[in-house]
Amino acid sequence: MTVVPAQQSGGGGGSSGLYDVLELVLDRGLVIDAFIRVSLVGIEILKIDVRVVIASVDTYLRFAEACNRLDLESGRNSSPGLPDLVGSITESGAKGKSKGALSGAAETISDAFKQSREESQSESRPRTRKTAASRRKEEQE
Amino acid sequence: MSTYVYGITAGSHPSLPDGIDGVGEPACRVRIIKEGELAAVVSDAPENLRPKRRDLLAHQNVLTETGEGGPVLPMRFGSVSPDDAAVSSVLAERADHFKERLEALAGKVEYNVKATHDEEAVLHRVMSENPEVRALTEANRNAGGGSYDDKLRLGEMVVAAVKNRETEDAAEIQQALEPVAAAVSVGPESTGWLANLSFLVDRESADTFLAAVEEVRKAQPHLDLRVHGPLPPYSFVEPGPAQHAEPAPAHN
Repeated sequence: MTVVPAQQSGGGGGSSGLYDVLELVLDRGLVIDAFIRVSLVGIEILKIDVRVVIASVDTYLRFAEACNRLDLESGRNSSPGLPDLVGSITESGAKGKSKGALSGAAETISDAFKQSREESQSESRPRTRKTAASRRKEEQE
Repeated sequence: MSTYVYGITAGSHPSLPDGIDGVGEPACRVRIIKEGELAAVVSDAPENLRPKRRDLLAHQNVLTETGEGGPVLPMRFGSVSPDDAAVSSVLAERADHFKERLEALAGKVEYNVKATHDEEAVLHRVMSENPEVRALTEANRNAGGGSYDDKLRLGEMVVAAVKNRETEDAAEIQQALEPVAAAVSVGPESTGWLANLSFLVDRESADTFLAAVEEVRKAQPHLDLRVHGPLPPYSFVEPGPAQHAEPAPAHN
């Protein structure tokens, strides 16, 4: 299925971009009290701030592990984000931080979001943590 | 038959999207309700409309088409009026407000910027900025990974440092892009991103805005910036929630 947003744009792209735009369509825009809104059961969870997820023991252990495997020398001397740093960390089966939190919420959201997220995961997009995480996973296997 | 409302625009809009596909399966045809100097872009409301991706995209597409010909006030997805007459009376009752907004948004589009950290890169950054984290990491490593408590202590420290970085980075992104935008609207916090910022940008100066985004990308390689636009000005339809950036928007 190849539905793309009418406006793809500079920098973004892919259908994770779709997710980003749909958040605006659903959550912003004019609301007029004389009109009713269709039921958006499950969508409201997007508004809940679930930052607490990050402050769990599992998260602490995962980050400690990630630091343990981090190449300290390259951390001090070279600029972050270099391609050769990818692979210097292996995660012990844990999901990337943003993916874990976001997809955790998204799992209860509508079909629309599920579809767009699934597609975004199957597309290759450099520089995202998601892609990096799946690449690391492949290397481990 | 109830009426689905996409957006509100000027009756003098040169290319109203009459007849294009709207929400529903099969798609309902878009039509126009004119009232005074205003026009509402509407279609019949399908039965059992749900926020399915197809319908969200249709909503977005109708607004994008409309926005290309002139300013439009986008409705939030899923706004349904009991009938056409109720739409007309809303247009009539709030004509002054809608006209003021349409004027304020003329020639302007929304760009949404969402930022996340590249995990490896931000860990390096945190490590290089924070000798304490570095020392504890080395101690743990020399102790063969460290005890459970050591790991917990390190992890807690790193998570706190990363969270601080998130806050600082969000502020830096906003500071860097505010000067090239007419207004900024800060979106809801969520774990999905460290910054969710919408900028109101003159269509004419979109290149300047995008160049500024590129500058941030280059200067902060540990940030993953996702930029979407030009979009209908979803975040700027009400004067209330949007904060006006400095300098004040120039009048064209």
